[in-house]
Amino acid sequence: MAGATTTQAPGLSTFVKSLRTTPVDPSVEHLISLLKRRQIRNSRPCAIATTALLLRVVGEFKGRDAAKLIERIKQVGRRLTSAQPREVVVGNIVRRVLGLVREVVDEHAEGQTPTGSEPGHATPHAHHDSLHRPALNSSMSTFSPLRHAVVEPAHSSVYLDNASDVSETSRRPLLLTSHTSYAPTSSAPLVNSLFGLFSQPADTPSSTGTPTGQTSPTGNSTLTALNLERLADLHRGQTLDLKGEVMEGIRELQDELETSDKQIAEVALEHIHANEIILTHTASTTVQKFLLFAARKRKFTVVHAETYPHDHTATHGILLTGKKREANLDDDEDDDKWKPLIDAGIQVYVIPDSHVFAIMSRVNKVILATHTVLANGGLVAAAGAHMIAKAAKEHQTPVVVLSGVYKLSPVYPFDIDELIEHGDAGGVVPYDDGEFVDKVDVVNPLYDYVPADLVDLYITNLGGHAPSYLYRIVADHYRSEDITL
Amino acid sequence: MSDDIVAEVAPATEPTVTTSPTQDSPATANGDTADASKKISPAELKKQKQAEKQAKRAQAKSSTSTPSQQQGPFKDGSKQQKDSKQTPKDDKSRPLPLRRRPSQTNAPAMKEQPEKKPKKEPKQAGLFFGHLYSQPKQQSLVGASKDVHPAVLALGLQYSSYAICGSTARMVAMLLVFKTVIEAYQTPPGNSLARHLTSHHLGPQIEFLKSCRPLSISMGNAIRWLKDIIIKIDPSTPENEAKRDLVEEIDIFIRERVTAADRLIRDLAATKIQPGDVVLTYAASSIVEETFLHAHKSGIPFTVIVVDSKPLFEGKQLARKLANDGLTVRYYLITGASHAVKDATKVFFGAHAMMSNGRLYSRVGTALVSMLANAHSLPVIVLCQSVKFTEKVALDSIVGNEVAPAEELLSEAERRDLLPLKSRLATAKNDDKSTLEDIPADTTDVLKWIEDAKNLHYLQVLYDVTPAEYINMVITEYGSLPPSSVPVVHRLSTNI
Repeated sequence: MAGATTTQAPGLSTFVKSLRTTPVDPSVEHLISLLKRRQIRNSRPCAIATTALLLRVVGEFKGRDAAKLIERIKQVGRRLTSAQPREVVVGNIVRRVLGLVREVVDEHAEGQTPTGSEPGHATPHAHHDSLHRPALNSSMSTFSPLRHAVVEPAHSSVYLDNASDVSETSRRPLLLTSHTSYAPTSSAPLVNSLFGLFSQPADTPSSTGTPTGQTSPTGNSTLTALNLERLADLHRGQTLDLKGEVMEGIRELQDELETSDKQIAEVALEHIHANEIILTHTASTTVQKFLLFAARKRKFTVVHAETYPHDHTATHGILLTGKKREANLDDDEDDDKWKPLIDAGIQVYVIPDSHVFAIMSRVNKVILATHTVLANGGLVAAAGAHMIAKAAKEHQTPVVVLSGVYKLSPVYPFDIDELIEHGDAGGVVPYDDGEFVDKVDVVNPLYDYVPADLVDLYITNLGGHAPSYLYRIVADHYRSEDITL
Repeated sequence: MSDDIVAEVAPATEPTVTTSPTQDSPATANGDTADASKKISPAELKKQKQAEKQAKRAQAKSSTSTPSQQQGPFKDGSKQQKDSKQTPKDDKSRPLPLRRRPSQTNAPAMKEQPEKKPKKEPKQAGLFFGHLYSQPKQQSLVGASKDVHPAVLALGLQYSSYAICGSTARMVAMLLVFKTVIEAYQTPPGNSLARHLTSHHLGPQIEFLKSCRPLSISMGNAIRWLKDIIIKIDPSTPENEAKRDLVEEIDIFIRERVTAADRLIRDLAATKIQPGDVVLTYAASSIVEETFLHAHKSGIPFTVIVVDSKPLFEGKQLARKLANDGLTVRYYLITGASHAVKDATKVFFGAHAMMSNGRLYSRVGTALVSMLANAHSLPVIVLCQSVKFTEKVALDSIVGNEVAPAEELLSEAERRDLLPLKSRLATAKNDDKSTLEDIPADTTDVLKWIEDAKNLHYLQVLYDVTPAEYINMVITEYGSLPPSSVPVVHRLSTNI
């Protein structure tokens, strides 16, 4: 296993650094251990780490078989998600990459009619343009081992696990053959895409269960690698530079992660008017950048709930210095530095979380940061978000949620409790108060689930959306066959 | 050591009052030096020297002044209290017999605010709470009128440091102190007791208490009642007899309106707890605590969820007491309230006051918890003695409220967590900060950063107003009633 030998505490930056020198498999182990130890936490670091790792995985992948590549990515993805199932964003990124691979494959499968040459990743697929609601995952437990303890699901045991799960009987066909189940929901587009046609032979109960859209191209071509590359360059359509295109797609994904905050911030002026009073919480960089962008042109007031006990230090830190403390420790020469809001002339009022209701009657808008956005329009955010959103609803104050698309996950929350992580009770009552900790059951939930009806608007890097529309964006970004990793 | 000194205070505050002007001047001098020595920051060397000089002068002064003053130990005590930042307040013995143990402040931060307060004022006028910042909170004996009885001085400091906290406890403590005040009172020749005592003698005491912390609704009610009975005293009654009557009346008031009322409410409320219930409460209330203990003693199996919030952490004391008595207690902070409410079956709140429009005025955060409970269709039950009912009305938590010093918001531990930010701040600030590099970072620096940050404000109020529609029932000594009946009961209880 690749241990971080530097003096720095292990975290995102040490992982990314070590990735350059460490081979893939130890890197996977490394990330798994970092996730398990919560040394990489929160959506953005997890997303960055996962993309960086998958880039390596794809880069080091030997062979040209797309099915094998998908299987390889899936296998890594399964291990990562089972390491820390509540960091849903890890699974999101894995699915996005899988979608990339499939897209590249599809494009070449229908290469005779080259509609668009660039392997766009964040664009709607022809598949999903049906009016049907895509067959999405019903529960987290299908891909997370939460209900089955933290066991990394071996590829074959996934089926057993799920088959034993009573609540998922209705979905069982989907599990057995991941693409045929797709056909009933939208059969017409499937035929158009030829995707379904190719997959039909795979219906035989082969244990791989992965789409073998590549069967015919690979079967036909017994060309040498050299020829393959040349042919791909020439856009012959018969074969392709799978790896290169996927890696390019992943790099675009990395760009998206980097720029999503900026893209979200750029619409700030459309949402914040002069002299507004805005309530927010946590030390979210997305929210801070959003507000900062608006602060260039407008004067407004920010009321900041400090999110005690799990995020208050970072909150105070970001307000004082414009930087989270963890980021500060990670690397100092980071060019991603920005002024705190107060230096931009914005009045910031820090309040304890208990004051939210008292203040809410005077607040114009609530802006929430989020941990994960779910396909039904609900979200998982730092604890306290639910009561803030609820109080806002009671006062008819609009609630705006800022989230990068990468946080959007294809999970429908039927069992909310399994999405909620509970933290160290020592954060609530210090352990030196031993008598208290001993006798009283101290609970420290880290996240809240906020139902969709408490949210008025989502702003992602693609623009603003109603919560009810999110399933569509989910469908645009994830292939339904990848929803179960 | 502060313990010893405070213990000494108790006898000192009790009997004789010789309000001599000499008491004031040394107290002032000492208060000043304490102030100055607190403010020393290495950046202000000049000020430090000045302060040192002042301290020497003051020392000389105090050594010359008679050490046998009655106020001596007391003023030292107050200074001591300020200096000892780290000593927890728990062991502080109370000079006054209290019906209820004061909910002690766990956050050591409380001890620090006194010095900073006056400087803070100009910046902190913000948001829509500006109107509440009119009067700086009195945190020391400096500037107290010489008419103020020492027992009242002690009480005032206990108010401002939250040693006595909670509207019932504050009211009872005040009445008990007024008993001593009345006992020590002598009508000056040419005045009648009824006239002089209310306006000239009790007036300054109340003013001082008000300057320490705004009066609670219950205190206001009690004061109105007390003035009323003083005025009604027959001028022909001999002074001693009148004083004795008054003291007796106060005792009766406490017994009837608090002790007996508590028992009635407790018995009634305990019947609302069914076996297997999970009762949620927020912060701490003496009457809720009594109810839980009573129900527990009568053998009803139930569990309690205590939701709490910073900075006072009153619920922690409650949870501790309940757990010590064998109840099953779960403890959440307010950020986890949405989770806590899910498991609860009933919600009990104490009250600071019940407004005449049926709204509950209580510890900030109560409204949030009751909102969540209401959303989960849980019955929300308020336990409140009728002495806390008021004819005042409130629509929101902003017009009428009590602000607390912003410094109290950050506890010692939180400030320590923020210290690593220093390097980042130092680059942003001028070079006068760089002189700080050699000195080990102090947690008070954090407050300084916040104060230096021009647009950053920390805001803290103590109460909020819960809409009547979130409240299902109010239990008083007159029985259980809907919140809409509060004005009726208020009239009933004041017309007797």
